[in-house]
Amino acid sequence: MPNPLVLKLEQRDRLSDDEKRVLESAISRVRVVEADEDIVHEGETPSESSLLLDGFAARYKIFSNGRRQITAIHVAGDFVDLHSFLLKTMDHGVLALTPCRVAVVPHAALEKITADHPHLTRLLWLNTLIDGAIHREWLTAMGRLSATAHMAHFICELFLRLETVGRTDGATIHLPLTQAELGDTLGLSTVHVNRVLQELRKEGLIRWQGDALTILDWERLEKVGEFTPTYLNLQHEHR
Amino acid sequence: MPGQSTPNISLQPVSVMSDGGSHEGRLVFSGSDLVAVFAKISAEENAGGRSGRGGWFLEAGFGPCGILMTHQPSVFPTLEEAIAWVRERLKSGLASS
Repeated sequence: MPNPLVLKLEQRDRLSDDEKRVLESAISRVRVVEADEDIVHEGETPSESSLLLDGFAARYKIFSNGRRQITAIHVAGDFVDLHSFLLKTMDHGVLALTPCRVAVVPHAALEKITADHPHLTRLLWLNTLIDGAIHREWLTAMGRLSATAHMAHFICELFLRLETVGRTDGATIHLPLTQAELGDTLGLSTVHVNRVLQELRKEGLIRWQGDALTILDWERLEKVGEFTPTYLNLQHEHR
Repeated sequence: MPGQSTPNISLQPVSVMSDGGSHEGRLVFSGSDLVAVFAKISAEENAGGRSGRGGWFLEAGFGPCGILMTHQPSVFPTLEEAIAWVRERLKSGLASS
């Protein structure tokens, strides 16, 4: 199976065989992180970055009263702390929500890429720009969408991101997130998460059984969530 | 003023319209001030919550009972526990959450 980061980048631009080789050889090892364990801790100064190969991870901050806000959900192909290469100290943690397989890329290897491969460097830059675009979109959704619209928006986004890395099965995605995790992601109580999911089910927009989430009516789900995928920058262009 | 005396709490039955329809609820007053609105929710609405059982959900809270001031979860097994929480919040005011 191709490296999901390669799939993610190839959706947006052409990668040469040499560039794919360089990305592959930048990986020093693969580690497995169990569910509910940190991939990277807040306050840590990593000397390597983590590329998610399998599983779901979350960026998060915890407040003194124990409340948690998840600021990003990461899927296969996401370079969860690429920014630690330049920002050095982590100002938040990254948590495995499910068992995760993580490719470890030493910062020294990233430095070599930036020295020798300008196009690949731009694509890694693009990767962090897309992370930034997603953060902007989430901030807007959090501040201005109703709970139901926000959930619909989240589902649309996640579906497209998983589709890019070949992790969809028809209209179905495997989404093993708990109500509490969804609540921490969307800034909702568990009760509201259940209510909005019930609403989306009742309207015939989704079906969610176990871990399998099926989108039954993409057009209406997009409309309810006021979802426009421009910010995901999915088009293939020279960059 | 919070923290000066035990607040005089009174309850008023209401029906609360939320996503999913009409719910049995209570307005909670401290003296003449509305401080919280609780709705009785089903186990289904609390699925994935800490208890996973039905109970009284803090639909809206004001001042020290504000939603952002609460610990998770904001579902209490009984109305008595919900009111005990309101009293505690009013006593501690904004100092701690």
